[in-house]
Amino acid sequence: MSLTKNDRDEAVGAHDGPDRGRADELVERLRGTPVGKSIFRSPRRITPRDRAAGHWSSFLLHIYPVKIRKKELAFKYSWYLGVVSMVLLGSLIASGVYLMFFYVPSPANAYTNIQTIQTEVPFGQYVRNVHRWSAHLMVLAVAAHMARVFYRGAYKKPREFNWVIGVVLLMLTLLMSFTGYLLPWDQLAFWAVTVGTEMAGYVPFIGDQVKEVLLGGPTVDSSTLLRFYVLHVAVLPTLIIFVLMIHLWRWRKDSMFDQQTEDGDE
Amino acid sequence: MSDLEHSTPVELSRTPNSVEGKRVLGVVPGKPAAGERKVIDPDDSVMVWPHLLVRHAVAAMVTLLTVMVIAVFFDAPLREVANPQNTPNPEKAPWYFAALQELLSMFHPLVAGILIPGAIVIGLVALPYIDNSRFIKPRHRKVAVTAFTSFMVIWIVLTLIGFMFRGPNWGWVWPWQEWHGEL
Repeated sequence: MSLTKNDRDEAVGAHDGPDRGRADELVERLRGTPVGKSIFRSPRRITPRDRAAGHWSSFLLHIYPVKIRKKELAFKYSWYLGVVSMVLLGSLIASGVYLMFFYVPSPANAYTNIQTIQTEVPFGQYVRNVHRWSAHLMVLAVAAHMARVFYRGAYKKPREFNWVIGVVLLMLTLLMSFTGYLLPWDQLAFWAVTVGTEMAGYVPFIGDQVKEVLLGGPTVDSSTLLRFYVLHVAVLPTLIIFVLMIHLWRWRKDSMFDQQTEDGDE
Repeated sequence: MSDLEHSTPVELSRTPNSVEGKRVLGVVPGKPAAGERKVIDPDDSVMVWPHLLVRHAVAAMVTLLTVMVIAVFFDAPLREVANPQNTPNPEKAPWYFAALQELLSMFHPLVAGILIPGAIVIGLVALPYIDNSRFIKPRHRKVAVTAFTSFMVIWIVLTLIGFMFRGPNWGWVWPWQEWHGEL
């Protein structure tokens, strides 16, 4: 998550005291103007109470709690894998939207579009690389996040359901990656998706129907490409962002409460 | 039972957002905010800004830098155009499904393709409700840790085998002799 102007302004409150510089005073004065007040709602950032109020009235900070347990700051607590996953999601959205401008999901166009992206579109190859490696890294980061949360015991009461939401997010991440895999329409994409979707055919009794819904036909073809594209750029991103918001909301709520443990001090 | 219901007024005043002894927002005195919970000790907590956010910003920048550097040195693969008539050998699923594909070569498709992945998902979802003791440290919940660690080791090994050690007709290859892994 990158720093915003609002964040930097909040920072001024962090080093209050006798050494408040002229920059601090200037920011303070700007926040105190009618316009500043209308934006920040809480102009003063001197006492902890001011700072908490400023935090609550900032949209960009509202996904964070105001205070957090000290031990959660340490690298070893989370390895920051949740943040890493979220940043990779951001990188995927940014690079993905750029690629969408140059891509048509049809067997006649898809492959040549990718070639054009790589050879003619400004930074096309680079943006595609960023998208590809971010996707692989996100699968790794989300899986590692799950493992870290497991060993940390962070799924324990009262956070059980947030773990379940996390499992849903892992599934969505895999689906995002898998649907995107088909889009270049090269041999790698085509056959990886053929193998991957063959498993759906093994569902008892309704296997063929499941496969048909997934592929839009008995084999991977133009309707599969269109389906995967719509899932990849519209349905799954919307779902993942929605579920992620619930995940973060619950994280914030729970971060204000200690887990009730019986194994003494850590 | 909630600790809060039996707390003294002094403990109740130690709500998480209290500053200078006053609650800032949204906590009803005498009641836990939601369910059965224990509030954090104000002495043990720090302001998220700047302490946590600075660390998150650094983590974010390191992540972005890593991706951007990898993207400079390694191009995303693009093979020949898709050809339904020309099946490559080996035919490989994406690497995160390599363990499933490896299982598929060992068991009946119903077992490897449906029952095992289904059991994994159900197991993961049920985990916090099965391992529901109040113990957090790994050494106090050996069964859960052993089960999860074994699953993870098996899964990683199967993924590596499916990704790197399988060649034509899903036969065994040594990755330093023939490379068939695709990203």
